[in-house]
Amino acid sequence: MAGSMKAVKLRIKSVQSTMQITKAMQLVAASKLRKAKERADASKPYLQTMLDTLTDIANSNTDYRSPYTKVSDNDKWLYVVIAGDRGLAGGYNSNLFKFMEAETEGRKDYTVLPIGKKSVEHFKHRNIPLYTEEYAEVAKINISDCFQIAKIVCDAYSSGEFGHIFLCYTNFVSMLSQVPTASSLLPLSDLRTEEKNSDGKARELILYEPDSETVFNAIVPEYLAGILYSSINVSYASELAARRTAMEAATDNAEEMIDTLSLYYNRARQASITQEITEIVAGAES
Amino acid sequence: MSTYHLTVVSMDGQDFEGEVQKILLRTIDGDIEILARHTDYCTAIGMGTAKVTMEDGTERKAACIGGMISVMNGEVRVLPTTWEWSEDIDIERAKAAKERAEERLKDQQLDKEARIRAEAKLYRALVRLGSARHDHQSDQ
Repeated sequence: MAGSMKAVKLRIKSVQSTMQITKAMQLVAASKLRKAKERADASKPYLQTMLDTLTDIANSNTDYRSPYTKVSDNDKWLYVVIAGDRGLAGGYNSNLFKFMEAETEGRKDYTVLPIGKKSVEHFKHRNIPLYTEEYAEVAKINISDCFQIAKIVCDAYSSGEFGHIFLCYTNFVSMLSQVPTASSLLPLSDLRTEEKNSDGKARELILYEPDSETVFNAIVPEYLAGILYSSINVSYASELAARRTAMEAATDNAEEMIDTLSLYYNRARQASITQEITEIVAGAES
Repeated sequence: MSTYHLTVVSMDGQDFEGEVQKILLRTIDGDIEILARHTDYCTAIGMGTAKVTMEDGTERKAACIGGMISVMNGEVRVLPTTWEWSEDIDIERAKAAKERAEERLKDQQLDKEARIRAEAKLYRALVRLGSARHDHQSDQ
């Protein structure tokens, strides 16, 4: 009895120290989240409007002189995958990778441009070719890094190294829900949502000034940088929210465990006292 | 004068949404002004001062740098990299940035890339200063 009491006491202590850590992580994530959420909220309209506008353009574009708008028959894919720097964020990283796996199923020839340490680790482990590992730390990426990434992606695309550019990130729906999302970046014809209608209906033409090639060459790098920056902001907020929720659950579980264990401990203590009294009384009577 | 719906969304969030009479801004191909019922249109934005004429005829100025403008089915969307309303521009900061950039450009040994960056900084500062001014004449 005394031995098991000691073991229970040790167990309580260990759970308590775990709880301290999870509690601290929860608080840190919550305080960082406030700032990250503001940034994510500010980026969201840009991300949405940008994608809407380009989808509209892709839907009605009939001008294929720019390499960025051409339908690509090159079957090499580049995936930009934005994950977190650290684990212990519930399903944040694994959900994204699972989603990504479903997305790439059956596709053999693809390269990944990972953003975030977890993303680098994950794809290295699976022997998937990485385009660059320079942007491993998602928390340190600023807007000029995004312009740089956009530039290398554009260069790789226009040199024919890749035929399609794809982006995987986690959308921040609310504090409690974060959903892995994918969106096509290049060529713009991949953004098309309507089937090309072949009923001979005249499409409305878009006027490009000075001409479509110049316009797209100027717009595309900025569009990529903007989308990357906003989706990194949104992903980072998602990571923190996921971590906060996970750590909150862990803290609650630890509390519950401590309650059960203390109840058990107190029972054992009482039982041993009762036994001692019984023994003494029995001894005195004899 | 008829109006149309304009949305301005920069990387820092939504800057404007509402009915306007016209918007004038500098694209990579020169200044353009969009009025209501414009045809579908798309171009890249250069660096300059944008002037938005509101529904009631008042005019607001803003520094508008980079990005794109698109007109789709009468809906005008401006997606600049930077959009700062003239009253929000930090003049002191822009002046300091201008001086720093000019100082850097005096250095003859500057390599090409650094020169381009400094020139871009100088130009951005000049656009901000030009847009912040409240008189009617604009010198760019």
